[in-house]
Amino acid sequence: MAYFLFRRTLGFVLTLLAVSVVVFAVMNILPGDPALTILGLDATEDALAALREQFGLNDPLLSRYFSWVGNALTGDFGTSHSFRVPVSELIAERLPMTISLAVAGMIFTVILALIMGIGAAANHRKAGDWGVMFLSQLGIAVPAFWLSMLLVLLFAVKLRWLPPGGFPGWSDPVAAMRALILPTVALGLVQSSVLARVTRSSALEVMRQDFVRTARATGFSRQRVLWRHVLPNALVPIVTIVGMQFAALVTGTIVIENVFYLPGLGRLIFQSIANRDLPTVQALVMLFAAIVVTANFIVDLLYVVIDPRLKARA
Amino acid sequence: MFDLTNLSVHFGPATALREASLTIRPGDRLGIVGESGSGKSMLALCLMGMAPEAATLSGTLTIDGRDMAEATERDWQALRARRVAMIFQEPMAALNPLSRVGDTVMDPLRLHLGLSKQAARARALDLFAEVGIPDPAARLRQFPHELSGGQRQRVLIALALACDPDLLIADEPTTALDANVALRITDLLVRLSAERNMALLFISHDLAAVARATSDIAVMYGGDIVERGPTRAVLDSPAHPYTRGLLGARPSATSLPRDANGKRARLPTIPGTVPGMAELPKGCRFAGRCPVELPHCASERPALTKPGPDRSAICHVLSQEVSA
Repeated sequence: MAYFLFRRTLGFVLTLLAVSVVVFAVMNILPGDPALTILGLDATEDALAALREQFGLNDPLLSRYFSWVGNALTGDFGTSHSFRVPVSELIAERLPMTISLAVAGMIFTVILALIMGIGAAANHRKAGDWGVMFLSQLGIAVPAFWLSMLLVLLFAVKLRWLPPGGFPGWSDPVAAMRALILPTVALGLVQSSVLARVTRSSALEVMRQDFVRTARATGFSRQRVLWRHVLPNALVPIVTIVGMQFAALVTGTIVIENVFYLPGLGRLIFQSIANRDLPTVQALVMLFAAIVVTANFIVDLLYVVIDPRLKARA
Repeated sequence: MFDLTNLSVHFGPATALREASLTIRPGDRLGIVGESGSGKSMLALCLMGMAPEAATLSGTLTIDGRDMAEATERDWQALRARRVAMIFQEPMAALNPLSRVGDTVMDPLRLHLGLSKQAARARALDLFAEVGIPDPAARLRQFPHELSGGQRQRVLIALALACDPDLLIADEPTTALDANVALRITDLLVRLSAERNMALLFISHDLAAVARATSDIAVMYGGDIVERGPTRAVLDSPAHPYTRGLLGARPSATSLPRDANGKRARLPTIPGTVPGMAELPKGCRFAGRCPVELPHCASERPALTKPGPDRSAICHVLSQEVSA
């Protein structure tokens, strides 16, 4: 067990290190001169050279990489070229928005998918099952940005139940939650369609196993057998997909935040790319990658929590 | 008391069980033998109210005088574990692999009997001790994969006993176990049946295990109960041609004659294989494989005959002998 933890943690750190190399390399090989973007085409060669010197763009690649990683470890991602404030401040300001959205999306996805998936499996080859299969097929086929616009048109413009966009901040929790409803649904619906199908097929496989018959023979209700015996045993594939979906949800916030005018990291990365704001983009890409790697790391640990047989082997 | 009268199970045109009649009283130890597909597990599932949804049932099943024809799934849930419990063939697969065996056994105690956590734990410890699990306190905390096959089967027996049922159905309880473990489990079931005055329905294709465990036996073939009677009498002098074939196919160290070269003869077998449910002959199910078949066997259903005291069989050849 200790060896398993050590191995997984080592893998986690090495992956992050590899990600940092790739992110740094890609960002610094990409064409486009940040100095030119900031000062404009009329800038004099001297001014450009001075700015490059100030940003450290003339230093050797390797030393720039190490100083970037070294500073990043202390929470210093440099100064944003376009906003002229430390990148860490920009992130700290917008991270809660994106985390709120991603977590809300994840909760929505998991709850909807489990209810639909287990419900479909319990009604295998009946109307409920066909209904879930049809709706989830539809959900997978619909692009998130188009769904967002439909939701805004219906619930914000026509019915006027919910705000069409923007975020008032968490100082007014009710308003904040209302503002999050449409983005959450737009973000999570596609993912929950995928997850509902995974849940359904995983549950169907478990329902064929002998211990489910034992549970029925012990006089438990169908509901109890489903939630107490079938679901936990169906969880390993579900958690695998949830881990991958969390990554998709975090990156999905880029589109959703732009559609709903939410001041989060997704909008920030979009603006920074347009402004060739190298330190900000680099830090954000690294942060998104770190979130994804962390999610996968947690999933790896969850397997062992779910299934005691894996602990014995680990 | 459990009473079946002419209970049949159909899957569309196919018949899985044909007009089975049985009575099980407290303390009875009844064995059911037959090949796979003979309908013995279907009979057991009917007693649990767990026949597959696709099946249509006819005939009557009464439990303590109550006709179960109109019973809902909820009614059955109230009977399972408390009145009738079942243990299954594969002890490895029959336990939830993610649940500590103690929790598995405590679940029905808490849910059905409403015991507190401490009371359920104490009761589970008693049950583990009763079914012969050593060091019960430590076992309670273990997962199924940490136990041996025999230990798992004992856990399943403890689970089945949890709510003190009147009838314990054991469907091939020893098939997946080593021979000496199988013997001990068989003896355990007999002891529990006697101590608790609990009826035991012991389903197996292992004639030696059935002989050891039961006082009465029903032999099944193709969905019919072809022969019934006291275990000893039926095994000593089988009446139905199928039972005779089944007993002849039993391997034994000494019974096979040697030929001139000193080699033992091949084990006799019943010719042919069990036909599918839909291809069974309309008359006697054994027609086509029977060594003493009469011309009308395949088309006419044989009537019940009494080949001896407390015994019955369905066979045209036997009814001819009896009437002659």
